[in-house]
This record gives sequence, C-alpha cells and structure tokens, in this order.
Amino acid sequence: MSLLSAKGISAGYGNRTVINDISFDIEAGELVGIVGSNGCGKTTLLKSVCNNLAHSGSCVIDDITVEKSSAKDIAAVCSYIPQKSGINIDISVLDVVLMGYNPHLGFLEYPNKDMKEKAMNVLQQVGLSGFEDRNFLSLSEGQKQLCVLARAIVSDCKVFLMDEPESALDFSVRYKILDFLKEMLEVNKKSALVTLHDISLALNYCDKLLLVNNGTVEAIAEPKKDDLSSLEEKLGKLFGKVSLREVADSKGKKSLVMIRES
Amino acid sequence: MKPSTISNTVKTNLLIIGGATILVALFFVSLFVGKFPLSLNEMLAGNQMHIKVFLTLRLSRAFVGVLGGFALGVAGFVYQTVFRNPLASPDIIGVASGASAGAALGILLLSGTFMVTACSFGGAVVAVLLALALASIDRTGKKSTVVLAGIAVHSLMQTVLMFLKLSADPERQLASIEYWIMGSLNGINSHIIGPNSIICVICLVALVLLHRQTLLLSADEGEARMLGVNVSVWRLVLLMISTVTVACIVSMTGLISFVGLIAPHCARKITGNNNIKTMLLGGIIGGCLLCGADILARSVASTELPVSIFTSLIGAPFLVVLLVRGRDRL
Repeated sequence: MSLLSAKGISAGYGNRTVINDISFDIEAGELVGIVGSNGCGKTTLLKSVCNNLAHSGSCVIDDITVEKSSAKDIAAVCSYIPQKSGINIDISVLDVVLMGYNPHLGFLEYPNKDMKEKAMNVLQQVGLSGFEDRNFLSLSEGQKQLCVLARAIVSDCKVFLMDEPESALDFSVRYKILDFLKEMLEVNKKSALVTLHDISLALNYCDKLLLVNNGTVEAIAEPKKDDLSSLEEKLGKLFGKVSLREVADSKGKKSLVMIRES
Repeated sequence: MKPSTISNTVKTNLLIIGGATILVALFFVSLFVGKFPLSLNEMLAGNQMHIKVFLTLRLSRAFVGVLGGFALGVAGFVYQTVFRNPLASPDIIGVASGASAGAALGILLLSGTFMVTACSFGGAVVAVLLALALASIDRTGKKSTVVLAGIAVHSLMQTVLMFLKLSADPERQLASIEYWIMGSLNGINSHIIGPNSIICVICLVALVLLHRQTLLLSADEGEARMLGVNVSVWRLVLLMISTVTVACIVSMTGLISFVGLIAPHCARKITGNNNIKTMLLGGIIGGCLLCGADILARSVASTELPVSIFTSLIGAPFLVVLLVRGRDRL
C-alpha cells in the first residue's frame, strides 16, 4: 500500500492554474524527486500535497486524507521543510528543533527531557552538534536548513516533503544530507517527496522522478530501473536533447551524469 | 548537555533572579516615595493616617507599577512574536489608542471608574480586531502589513478621540480625558485595582502557560500550519489574551508609552533567545521600568509628572538606536 497517494491534484494562485491534474503514488522507503524548470509548479505541488495550499483533487498520506484533516493530524504524518524558514525572531536552535514535537503534544504539554535529548542527538546527526544554544538567526542559510531538517526528523512522521533541500547547502553537505536521508527512509520505511534543481542528485538518489513541465507530469522516470535511452527520452521532454553517461569514482561507485547535447 | 548550554542557562537564571531582586527593591522604594512622608516607625506605632495612606494608596500604586510593567512587557513579547515583527507593541498596533478612545467615550457618556475601565477595554479589543481585519485583506503575508494596519487603526482611533474631545465639556470632561491619556499611576487606589488585577493575573498565567504556542507562531503562517498549529485560532486567542492584559492595565493607568516595546527587546538582546525565560525577563524589565518611572514621576518635581514622560525618555532613544543600527529587520 502507498504511503502517499495523490489523485488529480490541481492548484494555482488567484485565477492562474499552476499545476493541473497531477496523480502519483509513493511507496514506503521511496525517495521521489520532483524535477522541472523554474516556475513549472514544483513547490505548488509540494504545498498542495500537504494541504498547505488550496487545491482540487485528493491526497492520502498514511491513511489520512489531508483535505479532511486538521493541521495537527497532517503534521503528525508529514513534515514540510520549506526552502527557507520564515522564523525571523531571536530563538535558539534547540527551540526550533523542539517545535517538531508539536503534533505529538497537547496544548499545555511541553517537550520532556527525553525529547530534548533526542533533539540534541538529531542535531549531531545533521552536523549541528554544539549549535543548540546558538541563535537561529545567526546561522547561515545552509545551517538553517539543516536545523529545519532536524526539526522534521524529530517529528517522527512518515513522509517528508522537502522544497529544494540542496539549494543552500554546499557541495559536500548536500551529498552527506541526502545519504543520511536515504538511509533513514530505507531503515525506517519512511518516504520523501523532494523538489530538486540539481539533476545529478535527482538521478543518483531518487527512486522515482516526477518530470514536471507546464504544471503537468510529462513522465515518471525510475533512474534505477529505466535503461539509459528511455531515461534520456523522458528527460529530453524537459531539457531538450540530453545524453546520460555513467561514471565511476575512485572506489568504483557509479553515478549518472546528464550532458546537454549541442 | 553541553557546558555552553549550562552556562547560558545559569546566566539567564541569574539575570532573572537579579532582575526580580531589583524589581522587589523598586517596589519597596515605591512604597515610601511621594508627597506624604510615610514613615515605617509611625505605622508600627499605629498612626492611622500613615497606615491608611500605606494600605489605600502606596501599596496599590506600587503593586500596579510592578504588575502593570510586568504585564506590558509580557504582552509586548507576545505581540512581537505573534506578529513576527520586533516593532509590534500594544502602542504601535493601535490597541493603546483604541483604549484611549474607549476611555474618552466612557468619560463622556457614562460615569464611574468601572464604566471608564470597561469602555477602555472595549476600545482596545475593537482596535486589535480592526487591525487584524485590515491586515487580512493583504494575503501576501508581508511582515509590515500588520504594522501598517495598526498605524491606520491608530490614526482612526486618534480621529475618534479628537472628535470626542471636541464634544467634551472643557471644564470637567476634557481635563479628565487629557489626564487619562497622559498616563499616571496617581489615581490608583485599593478600591479600583481589584477586578482589573485579578483578570490581569489570570491572563498573565495563561500567556505563560501558552508560551509554546506563542513561540510556534514565530514561524511564518504556512510553516506554523505544517507544524500542526491552527494559526488563525491561536493567533486570535493569544492576541485577545494579550489585549485583555494590556486593557486591564491601561484602563487603570492611562497610556504607558514604550514599556511593551522595549522590555521584550531588552530581554531578547540579553538572552539571545525567545523562550519562556525571555518572556519572564521581559516582564521583569517592564516592571522595573514602570515602577522606576513612577518613582521618578513622583520625586523629580514639586508636582507629580505623567509616568509616560519617563518611560518615553528611556524608550524613545532606545527605539532610535534600534532603527539606526538596523539589527532587527522589519
């Protein structure tokens, strides 16, 4: 059974339709990428899936129909990691991470000692050990994103929705974070839907790619299952004529690289 | 826990204890400052005049100085966090001017301290609801929208106030309105503080208990919703409780400038955080500021001066420094 099932999602802003009739499923343990050019509707789709934006169609996450559920019920099953956090007031990194427990707390309950310890461990896992007492506003954009990722992890929900998690991270950290995310999804049978600009990351980390163009899914690619020519054909619908090359690092680990044909 | 966390926690705790000690000291100083030379020896000797002044006037006044400043500091903390704007305060978003217009209406049309207090409270609530309604027209979620809406409401309430002043009897009602607006703890006595103080304390307890919800609203609307927060409900609940808190105080004292703005700011600058301890420290700083300003208002001149002169004298330069340094982003 799918952990996330979206059927006929359409949404937009004002009278402008941005995404139209998009349907897809995500299985437990899967990392699914949304790939497309700027303004094609990636973030709109992500926000619609978690009911953070008015839309038509329906989305079921872990047996919860988001359109019929409260914000708290949705937050208990899915975590949304925005491209940039809107927090703009002095607050410690630890307090930001502890916000992730909100779906599991009553309105007069507070995070307990165990929760705080887990939050400290997660901060260590994402590479922010020793930052717990720092002011969130003093962090770099990349560190803020790691902090928000830690907040999503402590919430212990089944599905992560991430809007361009790599955008503010440097070269080595983005690989480290995606390795960490991939392992966490596989071990805990969780899923993630991630918008990505870096096509190399998308090809090498995602189990499935939703190739979005002009608000619709042009094709669904499966980099680990599709052969190269089929992948090239699907990606070509978005990026024009492209070629894929398989390259290996010094340890023999193979990765896909996309080249635009002249 | 890391050593740095412990030392910061200890530092903040020490600051709270130190601030509370200063507040208690100011409270006791406040008891013995004023035109009537109150003597502890006379009271112990059973001098009825001294005991009456102490119980009816000084004790109430010092208590409202501490409670009022604490309440304005805590309410300011909630306003700034919920509006996600470091310049939001009961003064700036129109609540205080709403309370003034309400009080003026009470002075003109009704009689008795209770009715003036009730009208002032009603004016404050109407102002915050109007500001929220105006801000909701702009759906872009810009941080400056609420402040602009507050400025509009403030102007509207000032116009209403002007109209009420024009309609007032210059000999009696106008003087009462002007005196109310200037803000003073002069009229405080044990007969009027009861209901307001009880409601204010209940609201403060609620705000402290709900500080986690306040903190969650420091994220933007979409982000807070995805953390499981019913943003519109909690924003309304927290703002209404804060408004009631402010209304309870200003309906007894008249307008008190800048305390709600600078007290939480100082607390955040000192702690570098925005948690429950920052909220409490903001309240303590607010209490020290109002109590200290009231002591100065009673002692620097032969006649008593409005307390807002001294809170503004400290608050205005602080605000200018804040804007010039640009540390806090609008």
